[in-house]
Amino acid sequence: MADAAKLAVVRGPSTSALGLQPSYDVLVVGGGIAGMESALTLGDMGYKVLLVEKEASVGGKMILLSKVFPTLDCASCISTPKMAATSHHPNITTLLYSEIEGISRDDGGLFRVRLRRKPTFVDWAACTGCGECEIVCTVALPDEFNADLVARRATHIAFPQAVPKKAVVDRFGTSPCSFTCPAGVKAHGYVSLVRAGKYDEAFRLHMEDAPLPGSLSRACYAPCEGECTRGTLEGTVPIRAIKRFMVDRYYAAHPIPEYGPSAATRAERVAVVGSGPAGLSAAYHLARRGYPVTVFEAAPLAGGMLRYAIPAYRLPKDVVDRDILNVTALGVELRTGTPVGSLAALRADGFAAAYLATGTMEGYALGVPGEDLDGVMDCMGFLKRVNGGEPLDLKGKTVMVVGGGNSAIDPARMAVRLGAAKVVIQYRRSRTEMPAHDWEIEAALEEGVELQVLHTPVRFLGEGGRLTAVESLTMRLGEPDASGRRAPIPVEGSETRVPVDLVVLAIGLKPSTGSFASEVELNRNGTVKVDAETLQTSLSHVFAGGDAVTGPSMIVQAIGQGKRAAFYIDRFLRGEALAGVRFDEPLPVVDKAEVVARVANITPRPAAPRHERPVAERLAAMAEVELPVSEDEARQGAARCLDCGGCSECHQCVQACPAHAFHFEMREEKAEELVRSVIVSTGFKLFDGRKKPLLGYGRFPNVINAMEMDRLLAPTRPYNTVLRPSDGKAPDNIAYVLCTGSRDCTVDHRLCSRVCCMYSLKQAQLILGALPLADVTIYYMDIRAFGKGYEEFFQQARGMGVTFVKGKVAQVDERPNGNLTVTYEDIEGGGGKRQMEHDLVVLSVGLLPNRDALQLFPGGQLEADPNSYVREVDEDLEPGRTSIPGVFVAGTASAARDIPDTVLHAGAAAAQTAAYLKRMEEGR
Amino acid sequence: MSATTLRDKQEVFRDELVMRDRIAALLGDGPKTVPELAAALGRPSHEVLAWVAAMRRYGRVEERGKANDEGYFAYALKA
Ligand SMILES: Cc1cc2nc3c(=O)[nH]c(=O)nc-3n(C[C@H](O)[C@H](O)[C@H](O)COP(=O)(O)OP(=O)(O)OC[C@H]3O[C@@H](n4cnc5c(N)ncnc54)[C@H](O)[C@@H]3O)c2cc1C
Ligand code: SF4
Ligand code: SF4
Repeated sequence: MADAAKLAVVRGPSTSALGLQPSYDVLVVGGGIAGMESALTLGDMGYKVLLVEKEASVGGKMILLSKVFPTLDCASCISTPKMAATSHHPNITTLLYSEIEGISRDDGGLFRVRLRRKPTFVDWAACTGCGECEIVCTVALPDEFNADLVARRATHIAFPQAVPKKAVVDRFGTSPCSFTCPAGVKAHGYVSLVRAGKYDEAFRLHMEDAPLPGSLSRACYAPCEGECTRGTLEGTVPIRAIKRFMVDRYYAAHPIPEYGPSAATRAERVAVVGSGPAGLSAAYHLARRGYPVTVFEAAPLAGGMLRYAIPAYRLPKDVVDRDILNVTALGVELRTGTPVGSLAALRADGFAAAYLATGTMEGYALGVPGEDLDGVMDCMGFLKRVNGGEPLDLKGKTVMVVGGGNSAIDPARMAVRLGAAKVVIQYRRSRTEMPAHDWEIEAALEEGVELQVLHTPVRFLGEGGRLTAVESLTMRLGEPDASGRRAPIPVEGSETRVPVDLVVLAIGLKPSTGSFASEVELNRNGTVKVDAETLQTSLSHVFAGGDAVTGPSMIVQAIGQGKRAAFYIDRFLRGEALAGVRFDEPLPVVDKAEVVARVANITPRPAAPRHERPVAERLAAMAEVELPVSEDEARQGAARCLDCGGCSECHQCVQACPAHAFHFEMREEKAEELVRSVIVSTGFKLFDGRKKPLLGYGRFPNVINAMEMDRLLAPTRPYNTVLRPSDGKAPDNIAYVLCTGSRDCTVDHRLCSRVCCMYSLKQAQLILGALPLADVTIYYMDIRAFGKGYEEFFQQARGMGVTFVKGKVAQVDERPNGNLTVTYEDIEGGGGKRQMEHDLVVLSVGLLPNRDALQLFPGGQLEADPNSYVREVDEDLEPGRTSIPGVFVAGTASAARDIPDTVLHAGAAAAQTAAYLKRMEEGR
Repeated sequence: MSATTLRDKQEVFRDELVMRDRIAALLGDGPKTVPELAAALGRPSHEVLAWVAAMRRYGRVEERGKANDEGYFAYALKA
């Protein structure tokens, strides 16, 4: 009890003094063979045990072994009954996939345990362990239960004999691409589906969130690519090009949607005003929720900006048509050429709710003389006319587009296509300040558009009401203004005049909301005032979204607002509360630096190709500028994806699961328990062969460690038999290097690991059973066969023909055929340096302390021994007692042990714990 | 081979999802060993083994008979 003074410093408040009753007699931390043994012993004595295991199954490392020495019993045959007994014992509660955040001991000697239950995303009560989800999952990760020798899937059952046999999904967070999408499109999901060759599934996943994939695949500004983690390396995943590939393929095969009208389960009719992306998206999501929806559109054709703003060379109109079919196929009624002038009229017509998505279909005026001349148009007027198919012959004409945003680029490039002799974009700041995307500016320049920066028009001049010339002023840049950009300042007396036939003003777009000003509240800039979360306006049954709310934004933002509005309109119509209900709660976004750190050495891949039609060819017609990528390019592009969030949310598992067990909305849960005593059975760690670089582990595929060999020998092995990893050859000359990382001061581990000699002997015998013609050589310093039957086991191996070489291995080198040269010092025969060739080398790596155990309690209360194992204060006479009263240690958490010794030690720790509890009960 | 550069395992495993269709196409012409597949794909044998092992795990391929004289198994599409 020398530690009592130290404990007093960090003690928490007395929970026992507060009258709280402990819920368990014992907390067992770690469900390996030691933890299970202690728990079962105490459970059988009648004590209530809480067993907490961080993995999704009990069993620890023993269950992963092939057989056990010296009996050669099958490890899983003898483990599984214990695992089942633990999990079904009436006095044992097992908490799997859970971690302990901290344990504190109060004055009364009770322990307060803070727990974190990790979400499995699978309802274990429903999951039958059938494994169907693993077959369809599109994300491959290293299988830690197979020593990373083979891939598993993001959804996985820990191992075939797992108890319980239930799936968990690895989700580290939301991938940056999916997290950033304003429409909640699961970019990572469809990228991983395309990678896996599941193109139709990729399309359908997109349709869960957004109904206009064709338009997005052409004209989305792709914020996902801007956030893509691979972009911080050698180049982003070409997410939009991948989408285009999947959409083109799907649309070619499905000229009309696969589905028909959705069942009208709701009586309330909803009016959507405006058929741009915001309106179409709301209509789609409302129809899917069973509402009869009517979309009112003022223009002759549906699509809003998709139809009338974005030119066909960027977004072919047949793609827009096909996208709109996705919405109308659900039974949505589309009334084009039908402007809505009053919300009250809609109400009177029997619409229970309305969604206002009228966009920003008009341009602002510049306010300079001559703006009303024939030949001065605003950007939307110009685009609507040409995109609407009205002829406009610009052959031989000079066109000036005024403005620096994306909406200036489109009219300019369009004018080039309409035959203009000269097209100039005039902008009042410099190119650096232009809000247009750089690639769009570049494309315009390539096509012959000229840029006249630091100029602004001050007067339009004409003859007979027709524009003939533009008078402009030169500008210079001053200090940054409210927008953060340097303000343009006119240079006095710098007026110049140039002859111009057509001016297109692209200086901003204003919300088309004027006709509703008397009915709903508007902001000063004319946008509709809404609740930012619910998009509800000042009229409770009217919601609004898209550019009419945000001001000019982007397609995918408008689509996102439509989806959000549909969610809240549905709640409104059902009479459910809107306040305090979140529309979407994704997992937090993963940290990109952590993703990059997870992949040790990323190999750069060639940049994703972009294909564009040559300039001459694209100008000849309204031909689409961007060309599609090939199937192979799409899949290779998708293969760049780093699977940032682990699971991609492709939802294949959700669909494949016969038990409907997947629940992606599950979240981490925190809990607190009060217990009387604690057993620490957190086990050991394995020496990392890379710390002996001369032995080649991690550099040569055919140098493996003994845990990997145990997996290769186990019935649930990763390959069909023992094969060497370099090429799948059944090895016939295998070497073991004993004491790798044990008894070795150079790696700061002086102890003998006690089990390596014996497991190597075991593996040698099993190899000779599996590959009877193989040679096995064991390089050793001395063979430590100290237990019952161990010496006999050693002799048995000798008798079977295993070669023993007394020698210290210094180096392993790879030969061109993948074989390995082992260089060692002969310390028995003639002495000196020797070399031998093998086709597989197994490092008999040592056991190391699991230092994590020491962190369970604060401030170093749980003391370590000089080798960093949990210290047993009286190892000789009271095994299992630690530096904290009431805390015991079982198994390899306190020293390297084999299974028989671990079971014995766990029994001793259980007995110590029982005695302690009894003393507590009796107040001694 | 002596200059084998080992790519990160995660990157190798991930490529299975793309390579599995190419491997399946090659096996459509008959069973093949890992080195044969590696030669046809122009990719390192140790990566091909990882892909074949995952395909076997998830029920796409299976080994046929015993290892040949060089110690290699032939893999075939699972019926
Ligand atoms: C030139 C230009 C290029 C663009 N390029 C891109 C791009 O490449 N990528 C990108 O992401 N974004 C781009 N955008 C922005 C994008 O088009 C918009 O963010 C998006 O279309 C907004 O969708 P919305 O549904 O809110 O509005 P809109 O698309 O404007 O749709 C509103 C619809 O409502 C109709 N309407 C209006 N009033 C009424 C009424 N009273 N009754 C009935 N109907 C009415 C309108 O006619 C229109 O059809 C571009 C914009 C412009 C101007
Ligand atoms: S959502 Fe997709 S990636 Fe995620 S676990 Fe399910 S199948 Fe795998
Ligand atoms: S690497 Fe993949 S998951 Fe990560 S952001 Fe890029 S596309 Fe998304």
